Amino acid sequence: MADVSLHGVAKSFGATEILRDINLSVDDGEFVVFVGPSGCGKSTLLRIIAGLESVSGGEIRIDKKRVNELPPADRKIAMVFQSYALYPHMNVYKNMAFGLKFAKTHKAEADRRVRQAAEILKLTPLLDRKPRELSGGQRQRVAIGRAIVRNPSVFLFDEPLSNLDAALRVNTRLEIAKLHRDLGATMIYVTHDQVEAMTLASKIVVLNQGRIEQVGAPLELYRSPRNLFVAGFIGSPRMNFIKGQVLRAEGSNVTIGFAGTEATLDVRPGSVNPGDHVTVGIRPEHMEAGGAESTSLRGTIDAVEQLGESSYVYMRLASGDDVIVRAPGETEATPGGTYTAHVPTRALHIFDAAGLSVLPDQS
Amino acid sequence: MTIRPGRIAVHIALILYTILALGPIFLILINAFKTRRAIFADPLGLPNGQTWTTIGFDRVFANSDFGLYFFNSLTVTIVSLVLIVLIGAMAAWALTEYRFRGNTILSLYLAIGIMVPIRLGSVSILRMMVELNLVNTLTALILVYVAQGLPLAILILGEFIQQIPKDLRDAARCDGVSEYRIFFSIILPLISPAIATVAVFTMVPVWNDLWFPLILAPGDGKQTITLGVQQFIGQYVTDWNAVLASLTLAIAPVLALYLLFSRYLVRGLTAGAVK
Amino acid sequence: MTDLTASHVQSTDVVPARSRFPIHIVVFLAPALAIYTLFSIYPLVDTIRLSLYTGDETGARSFVGLQNFSTLLTDPNWSGQFWNAFTNNLIFFAIHMVVQNGIGLGLAMLLSLPRLTGGSVYRTLIFLPTMLSVVIIGFIWQLMLNPLWGIAPSLLKAVGLGSLFGPWLGQESTALLTVSLISVWQFVGIPMMLIYAALLNIPDDLLDAATVDGAGPFSVFWFVRLPLILPTLGVVSILTFVANFNAFDLIYAIKGALAGPNFSTDILGTFFYRTFFGFQLQVGSPTMGAAVATAMLVIILIGVLIYLFGVQRRLQRHTF
Repeated sequence: MADVSLHGVAKSFGATEILRDINLSVDDGEFVVFVGPSGCGKSTLLRIIAGLESVSGGEIRIDKKRVNELPPADRKIAMVFQSYALYPHMNVYKNMAFGLKFAKTHKAEADRRVRQAAEILKLTPLLDRKPRELSGGQRQRVAIGRAIVRNPSVFLFDEPLSNLDAALRVNTRLEIAKLHRDLGATMIYVTHDQVEAMTLASKIVVLNQGRIEQVGAPLELYRSPRNLFVAGFIGSPRMNFIKGQVLRAEGSNVTIGFAGTEATLDVRPGSVNPGDHVTVGIRPEHMEAGGAESTSLRGTIDAVEQLGESSYVYMRLASGDDVIVRAPGETEATPGGTYTAHVPTRALHIFDAAGLSVLPDQS
Repeated sequence: MTIRPGRIAVHIALILYTILALGPIFLILINAFKTRRAIFADPLGLPNGQTWTTIGFDRVFANSDFGLYFFNSLTVTIVSLVLIVLIGAMAAWALTEYRFRGNTILSLYLAIGIMVPIRLGSVSILRMMVELNLVNTLTALILVYVAQGLPLAILILGEFIQQIPKDLRDAARCDGVSEYRIFFSIILPLISPAIATVAVFTMVPVWNDLWFPLILAPGDGKQTITLGVQQFIGQYVTDWNAVLASLTLAIAPVLALYLLFSRYLVRGLTAGAVK
Repeated sequence: MTDLTASHVQSTDVVPARSRFPIHIVVFLAPALAIYTLFSIYPLVDTIRLSLYTGDETGARSFVGLQNFSTLLTDPNWSGQFWNAFTNNLIFFAIHMVVQNGIGLGLAMLLSLPRLTGGSVYRTLIFLPTMLSVVIIGFIWQLMLNPLWGIAPSLLKAVGLGSLFGPWLGQESTALLTVSLISVWQFVGIPMMLIYAALLNIPDDLLDAATVDGAGPFSVFWFVRLPLILPTLGVVSILTFVANFNAFDLIYAIKGALAGPNFSTDILGTFFYRTFFGFQLQVGSPTMGAAVATAMLVIILIGVLIYLFGVQRRLQRHTF
């Protein structure tokens, strides 16, 4: 078991910067998910940790030892690839045992480990099959099995579920979570899917354009996104953003006007001044319930999506802002009509002109 | 890859091999423009003011019909290619699009020609051409080359036609377009990218062939350039200027075309090879 | 819609499919089948038929069964030449398999290195000789190796190997090897391209996975890349085989129909040509020529069948 830490890691291909100044520590046994839009550098970061890419600057430490110069095989890591990368000319058994051959593992020990991993992953009946004779889910399990037999300190997953269909994806997600509990190993997992990130991670790293936007536990990111990017990325449907302005400020207590209404709340002292333009963020799921200190938004309904247990109401406010509201499943809202949504003040997120959250730190 | 040892060594190896591959051709080209004395005194030197001469070319043009041979080769190659692509595409279309009895057998029948060289039938081909009165005609060559090129062309074009979305043809059929129109106005324009691949596999062997010109059209001014050079050099073997000039004349057009179109040719070759 | 398409034959349409073969299929197929049958298959079959006959000066032919073949294989006037040509052809093929395909594989490996600068330039240039006529290549090398001109000896001297030079094309002991290497030099580009394309087809993930598994560059090649390109190596081998046992132009251009010195560069192609057209002392014989061609056909077919049933079936093609 081991921890992983990155210190000032940077990577560029020629003139293009892929990653800059990445600092991160992953504790022993943690399940860390790198999430971000495509091209944000998350896969590159994973490959750097694996040793498949070199860095242009900075240091990578695994188990507190610098590993920059070590080849992948000596980093005590194992990797599960998006395409599974199973050797098509070897059967399942050989696929799993392949790495052990180079680790100079004793034959009997290698056999024991392969069979044990096959047992865990329910692959025992398939050991003689070639990859092409397996279903997508089975291939996925072989790829994981190949990682397990190496007994690595750190597991690296590169979008391992993206080639599976929706039902299988949920299943495998649960299996990976269980695997993490059983093995207690450090795992680093790359995905662009925020649901995977929220459900699997003990810690999420949100990346955007080669930089870390925020690091934190899933609910921490959900509750207190540090900036507009994280606010928009975490949560589905995405957070509504409405233009607003600071009307009054008394110390940390400010009043913000937006969409023809206003709300008074606490911000970090001195973070905004009267007259400043801000962005008000409201999650769709926080707009249904009314309450004592709530403000209401009225608008014309553009469309209604009925999901059964809830509905999404798409409406345009008088101010011209488009917002999505999660309404009860049996809503009577119909396109063309008007709809009023109640927003509790404590559900508001306020971002300054630079896109940074001005709410006081909550912990 | 963290460790990439000896990237420079790789380039040195590749450069050395490239020199080995091009050096001889380059030497022929530069010496063709040098005086006989310079050819022997300084074979590796470029032609300069003192050694420059085109006397070899003058002798080639004076003593042989190079222009005619070139024209013959061009005619044979282009007509063969057009026929192979057109006839081959029609057959490939029929074999891939329509399922009918005998389809598989026909495909296998055509596959024979890919593996078995048509050259081995030369005895009968010559007999047949004599009977048809086609000896020493370009028609004889074209017929043989088309027969030789068709099987592979049908295979390549067939694989290409298969990749054309079926919806396209079905949409046309729903509009009541005839099968002939579908082929000529929809399929044929769409396979033009495959022509590069077919061209690599058919044009080059046709242009370069010595065997069939030698046995089917060795005289009467119907020689192709390859045969023409071979006969010319056989005759003027001691005239170094003329020999080098004739080789240069044979190399130059191919070289120019290749460097112009190498991108497509190489792509066609690798695309064909993936199959 | 009176025209039928195959997929619709059973289900739709007014004309029952079995009653009349769709005319447009015939139209599409006829030209190709006619030319191919007339000028490729018929001559091959007719050649086999002719090999069972013998002709006299008057042109009259009589059926002799397999006698031509027994002459070819046992008559001292013929068998020596035939077996000589066959053995030389085997050597010619072996040199191509080892040197041409070996170098081709090596170059393809180098060219498929990730992010190699100038890869396409190397590929284009190294492939260039393949485009030229074998005849031209033969003459070029004849000049290069000509002791009169002295390019080869002076180049060898420059690298300190001057003493190695000899009239390679003129010596019985070295002529076949030299001719083979000239042919190798010309055609290295073909295996290089085919293998390069196959190597490119291997997903990077697979090579990364092997690296993570601890395989070094040599192991990645030996355990992952090589097994995955085996089918392509099979194709390259059979292409080499057919081309080599059908070769003629190079020897004819360099050494003439007599494939000298003393038949040391004689291969089946040149032997066939001499038998068919004759040479100095011997008149050509179409029927014996047909017998030689049939023998070559059998040799090539044996090679192809070994490939199809012995090799290809065992080599699983991998889709990634």
